[in-house]
Amino acid sequence: MIRRVAVVGVGQTYHEGAKNTQSYYDVVFEAATRALEDAALEKGDIDTVIASGWDVADGRTLSDMYLVPAGAGYLKDSAKAAEDGVLAFAYACMRVLSGAFDTVMVVAHGHTEHPAELVSNVVFDPFFFRPMGASTVTTLALQACAYAHKCGVTSEQAAGVVVKNRRNALDNPYAHLRSAVSVQDVVRSPPVAWPLRALDCPPRSVGAVALILTTEERVRRIRPDGVAWVRGIGWAVDSYELGAADLSRLSSLAAAAERAYSMAGVKKPLEELDVAEVHDITSYHELMAYEALGWAKPGGGARLLEEGLASRGGKLPINPSGGVLSTNLHAGSGLLRVAEAVLQVTGRAGDHQVDGARTALAHGTSAAAGPAAVGNCVVVLGRD
Amino acid sequence: MPKRVAIVGVGLTRCSSWRRDVSYPELVYEAVSAALQDAEIGPEAVDAVVFGSMDPFDGVNAPERWCVDACASAGALNKPLLKISTGGTTGGSAALGGYYHVASGMFDVVLVVCSQRVGETLDAQRVLNTAVDPVYERGFGVGAITVGAIQAASHMHRYGTTEEDLARVAVQNHDNSANNPYAHLRFKFTVEDALASRVLSWPLHLSDCCPSSDGACAVIFASEEKAPKLAKQPAWVRAAGQITDNYFMGDRPWAEDWDSLAILARRIYRLAKIDNPRREIDVAELYQAFSIQQILEYEALGFCEKGEGAKLVREGVTAMGGELPVCPSGGVLCTNPIGASGLIRVAEAALQVMGKADLRQVPNVKTALAHAWGATIGFHTLMVLDREAP
Amino acid sequence: MTTEQEEPLIVEGRWDIPYRHTAGKAASRFLRELKENKRIVGIRCPKCRRVLVPPRSFCERCFVATDEWVPLPDRGTLDTFTIIYEQFLGMPPPPYCVGMIKLEGADTSLMHYVSGVDMSDLEKGKQNIRVGMKLQAEWKDEREGRISDILYFKPV
Repeated sequence: MIRRVAVVGVGQTYHEGAKNTQSYYDVVFEAATRALEDAALEKGDIDTVIASGWDVADGRTLSDMYLVPAGAGYLKDSAKAAEDGVLAFAYACMRVLSGAFDTVMVVAHGHTEHPAELVSNVVFDPFFFRPMGASTVTTLALQACAYAHKCGVTSEQAAGVVVKNRRNALDNPYAHLRSAVSVQDVVRSPPVAWPLRALDCPPRSVGAVALILTTEERVRRIRPDGVAWVRGIGWAVDSYELGAADLSRLSSLAAAAERAYSMAGVKKPLEELDVAEVHDITSYHELMAYEALGWAKPGGGARLLEEGLASRGGKLPINPSGGVLSTNLHAGSGLLRVAEAVLQVTGRAGDHQVDGARTALAHGTSAAAGPAAVGNCVVVLGRD
Repeated sequence: MPKRVAIVGVGLTRCSSWRRDVSYPELVYEAVSAALQDAEIGPEAVDAVVFGSMDPFDGVNAPERWCVDACASAGALNKPLLKISTGGTTGGSAALGGYYHVASGMFDVVLVVCSQRVGETLDAQRVLNTAVDPVYERGFGVGAITVGAIQAASHMHRYGTTEEDLARVAVQNHDNSANNPYAHLRFKFTVEDALASRVLSWPLHLSDCCPSSDGACAVIFASEEKAPKLAKQPAWVRAAGQITDNYFMGDRPWAEDWDSLAILARRIYRLAKIDNPRREIDVAELYQAFSIQQILEYEALGFCEKGEGAKLVREGVTAMGGELPVCPSGGVLCTNPIGASGLIRVAEAALQVMGKADLRQVPNVKTALAHAWGATIGFHTLMVLDREAP
Repeated sequence: MTTEQEEPLIVEGRWDIPYRHTAGKAASRFLRELKENKRIVGIRCPKCRRVLVPPRSFCERCFVATDEWVPLPDRGTLDTFTIIYEQFLGMPPPPYCVGMIKLEGADTSLMHYVSGVDMSDLEKGKQNIRVGMKLQAEWKDEREGRISDILYFKPV
């Protein structure tokens, strides 16, 4: 990286199942205010704002008219990435790297105002996929089935991811679901779209997350210690044609990881990473992510989990925050992974802190329609 | 000092009220193929993609998913792709996105694609109504035409602009679109014809309003290292930016003075070191969904004093052959695939600088300005393109 | 005047927006073949030679136009599937099975319903529907030129 980018402020709300007291952009205002407080900055210090999310999900065409002002963007240069906030983060990095802006606010949110499967069904083409009821959960289920079949992964093994992440959320006061579950709870939960059962899938949470990025020069004035540096970032999209893909692997995630590792100079991720926050859009997808991220061979994801590597005390703790399976901000879940990774490397993750974490990986997924043309982004963050 | 970035290729599609000959990905493929051909590169040469559209005009949420592979095989090749959506400014915002991808130093060749299929919507105003807050305002049936009408009525009241002045803007754009094979509306008429056309929302006549169009546009941005190899005359980005006003229409004087555009223009002119825009800009592609907006834009962009916008039209300053031709393409008034319209302004401005605008070419263009507006009149984008690198 | 103790309001919204979708070159031909000839056609990419179904006007990998139509049998193998047991707002009533079906001679699979088996509960569903099973299309008698002209695929 020619110019260095640092994350200097993090703000999130206490995520919950419903928040009838606030509109979704008021929740964004709360997170943005907290991020400013965290960075000891004011609205006037923000040069540009990148918002995120999907208009149809928000029930508001031009949803950024509401989101940007809530992110301290009034009369500023702003944009909206119609993606998960993790890609708004990527755009924000580019704006800083260009030298045109010093300090960028990125905001993302989740709410429960829309019928999720119907909204994702309308992403599919009206001729071939939509009439089949294709939606996020049904197509993620097709992937889980393909993966399970190819690699012999059982529902109990996938349930292990849920058990780990839900247990981790007990130590995260911001998480939505904060109750442990057992493997039996998961495999007995009602089937949604087989092989996905209710507990294999994320909840729907209401909340927001905001990050403030800035340059090396400004960091010295704002916050000389305790920032997280963006060492590498990569993102990639998959094809729309699900029928032409190997549904058992996450190819865009592998491509994104390769770019991020290369930029960060990471050659042996399992050795060099201290903690990771991955986008567990379902339990199976966390296992698939281990493989795409180069931590396990194809089919080896379950073993990595069973050997304890991904646990809090393991070699590479994965999702100490509780992951998406504990808090799902829909178009904000990916950005929340980045926020959690920042908290880890700056030693501010409280009860779910991984001791001595210096290098973290954050993986976010921007899925408007499940795996169809899904976007994956990987960020490597470091203390120095 | 950001890295220098230039536009090296442009692809346009024929726009019409309904391109029923193509599916959505096919329409996008048309624009992308044309841009790749213009820059003489293949899909593998594209490092990253930015896609813009205004959902949900097309009846497909997030159309960049269905169309991902029409964008130079982005999905099949696992390229980086970013979707940008900011209403009417989507095209301008997507162009900015492409610019920042390259200016960051991370990518050398970036494809920006925008598309819209307003023809697939049976009731565009109903879609536009969904931009309006459901708690306070949606019930009032407010859409874009009503907003444009309020702008016209206010300007007429405050500055004495007349319906004839609006008609002159319409006539000028239609005269120009006759030279543009990609334009949607391509018929000329007189001021009398315009005034005789039916009133949609007083004081706007049919002639004062943009059509609903299907169309796509693709623009290729390249780094300073690659640009000279890809284009004989690249169109260098001299300055570019966006401004975000708040949502509440009642808060501001937009009907008489497009103050948010004026603020953005000052910022951009300062960056580009432009002191006298009327003299230093050779051609401008402005975004006028309604004729009155072109007049407001002249004033906000500093081409004339406040209230004098209509005078520029009356005196022929902005006609082809005038001091500062505006919209040789025919503008949004003749072609409006909403999410793509802002990028088409950038594409047309680039073609002018590159000397490839065929029959609509203004002679000796060094500096061109592209504009877009969107939201409840609160978003604007501007991009200054130049024959020389900054 | 204070609003502290007042119950916050929820305002309902609904988008009811009609559309007319353009099928384009490739899909139009495919859908017409379903209606008129009761057959499934794929299209071959001139460069990579894959037979693509559903057909598309350009190959997404090679980024070249396609125009070689290939009629396919209406039989194939189930690559992957899911059985939906939850009623989502606006979506079909459960239980129903959606799968990716690799037709004989095609290089890509087609999404469609799998039916004609008992999937009333998950155990029966898992027993009766398996990856790799052979399927055959069940057609509508009165066809309209829609993907639903094939009602579903059933086990052979």
